[in-house]
Amino acid sequence: MASVWTLHFRSLPLRIDSNIHDSSFDKMQPCPITSTNRIAIRNGISNLRSQLKHHSFNSIAKFHHRLVTSISMPPFLLNRNGGSNFPIWVCVAVVVLIAAVRVVSRKKERPGSVADLVRRGQLRSDRRGISRPLKYEDPFNNPFVKVGKSDSTVEMCGKVYRLAPVTLTQEQQATHQRRRSRAYQWKRPTVFLKEGDEVPPDVDPDTVRWIPANHPFATTATDLDEELAQNNVYQKHGVPFRIQAEHEALQRKLEALQNGEKLNKLVIDPSNAKEFERPFNSHARLNDQAEVNNQEQKPTKLVTDSMNAKDFERPFNSHASLNDQAEKSSVNNQATDFDSPKIDCGPNHVENASSEDPTL
Amino acid sequence: MPPLQLLPAFSKPLTPPSALLQWNRKPQLSGPTPRVAVITSGKGGVGKTTTTANIGLSLARLGFSVVAIDADVGLRNLDLLLGLENRVNYTALEVLNGDCRLDQALVRDKRWSHFELLCISKPRSKLPLGFGSKALTWLVDALKTRTSSPPPEFILIDCPAGIDAGFITAIAPANEALLITTPDITSLRDADRVTGLLECDGIRDIKMIVNRVRTDMIKGEDMMSVLDVQEMLGLPLLGVIPEDTEVIRSTNRGYPLVLNKPPTLAGLAFEQAAWRLVEQDTMQAVVVEEQPKRGFFSFFGG
Ligand SMILES: Nc1ncnc2c1ncn2[C@@H]1O[C@H](COP(=O)(O)OP(=O)(O)O)[C@@H](O)[C@H]1O
Ligand SMILES: [Mg+2]
Repeated sequence: MASVWTLHFRSLPLRIDSNIHDSSFDKMQPCPITSTNRIAIRNGISNLRSQLKHHSFNSIAKFHHRLVTSISMPPFLLNRNGGSNFPIWVCVAVVVLIAAVRVVSRKKERPGSVADLVRRGQLRSDRRGISRPLKYEDPFNNPFVKVGKSDSTVEMCGKVYRLAPVTLTQEQQATHQRRRSRAYQWKRPTVFLKEGDEVPPDVDPDTVRWIPANHPFATTATDLDEELAQNNVYQKHGVPFRIQAEHEALQRKLEALQNGEKLNKLVIDPSNAKEFERPFNSHARLNDQAEVNNQEQKPTKLVTDSMNAKDFERPFNSHASLNDQAEKSSVNNQATDFDSPKIDCGPNHVENASSEDPTL
Repeated sequence: MPPLQLLPAFSKPLTPPSALLQWNRKPQLSGPTPRVAVITSGKGGVGKTTTTANIGLSLARLGFSVVAIDADVGLRNLDLLLGLENRVNYTALEVLNGDCRLDQALVRDKRWSHFELLCISKPRSKLPLGFGSKALTWLVDALKTRTSSPPPEFILIDCPAGIDAGFITAIAPANEALLITTPDITSLRDADRVTGLLECDGIRDIKMIVNRVRTDMIKGEDMMSVLDVQEMLGLPLLGVIPEDTEVIRSTNRGYPLVLNKPPTLAGLAFEQAAWRLVEQDTMQAVVVEEQPKRGFFSFFGG
């Protein structure tokens, strides 16, 4: 490839020289650059430059074509117009030369220019409308990664590195494994105890992990029912357990309330009404949990809030309100996302909905 | 909620779902799916989360369905690296509690819909310790058998630093491990220890990724070479990731490196590692040093 380049450059000055010898020197004036010329030249420069910056070898071929045509034009023109265009062509030739030299020294691209910033990844080229997807064979063989012929070098992102073969053998691996199995004897802990607790009688002391009482991220207290939690994890459809439980509790409460009202319609019990606002424990517990997760967007809070707002109109529909949100969010997300409408179907996609939710 | 909050969500550019850098070929998926891999290191700050994000997204771009689990309970940041932090409303803890279903707790990436994120819990919330391993095993098992969308081909678990409860939780469901290390002695000692523990736990398929390698420093003998690291640990190599300032930049943008255009050295290295992971392949040769510049190549470099 280098030979192609040198060929171009050797041929350039020769042709220009011959042009100059052909013409009559006495007619030559200092290059009269009118404003239109200047614009034309500048456009020429930027055209050439932008074309060259994309520096694929195809465009070099095109460029070559251009050079040849642009340089071989003058004789005809000179013959016809008696050389009045000649100075312009000299200027064009000079510009072409400068552009060519710039290509050669494009490593010294002006720091801070858009192209430079894009090249270094500070600007996203795809946001500037000058990108098309790069489609290559695979990560091991593409314009950015090329293994040398002898397999002893690799060129990555324009730099050449020396390669050394990996010499690790199966035996060496096995030796290391044996060394480690002697050095580290370990059983994955299954029992977690606070420092100071008694070891239960049926527990292998090797599998106990002692947790400092003030461990910041962990607790040994298990208030979750394991079987229930497992069921929750495996649940594929329908209303999540906790939501269902709340719903049922609320329903029971309301039925009880209605029955009570039927029995003694005349007696209005203010405590009953008050109780209705915070109807059951699980609600309070949810809020507690939300406080633990404070400052985060609180999903549990979100659900309860919407319950507060809506469920007094539709008291038996806590499930429906959750679905509403999910639907709302999927509609919202479609607007920002032309991937697939099915993508966002869960509460983790609810953020848009929640920010619009008038109850928040 | 103030209306300002709406702005970031809607001013996000409409990135088309196609990748900027695309491969015409696909790697051959090897081994039974889902492949459950834990990404661990012992030492903190060596690049576990960076690796999970980049390999995960590379896999998704190669067309594989991926669930990344952030098992770092205390110091969760995989969501940040992926730019998904605003979309995590539910975590595995809520699933266990019955506040939502598992499919609702998965955050699907809008750029690559094959990629989903599951966080174990929110910062500051406490997961009962004895519970972590079991819970994560159920979660992975439920993902394997899910019907709401096809079960994932890869489940990547971002393990917290240390060999504490978080580590024990994270390795429980894994069949294979990616060990991340940097070429320095502290990281290596931890890596050896962690490898020992993984082997004790029955995880035999352990491959290492050497991160933050600087070829210029190796040449000056200031840093161990990748081959030195391999000699000390005796583990097959999945990838060598060079030190690259783009890593930090992409961390801060919430836009994983492998999505960069133009591609960066570290990004390409992650893509290669992802490719090898799919094919259960290992590196046969490593880059040892920069070749002294020759006129020809500096001519075309850039
Ligand atoms: N190849 C790399 N080059 C430069 N910086 C890196 C590289 N890999 C990781 N880092 C930086 O190291 C820090 C820790 O990485 P992280 O992935 O969070 O580690 P971990 O999850 O192991 O704690 C991050 O700030 C990240 O940007
Ligand atoms: Mg991390």
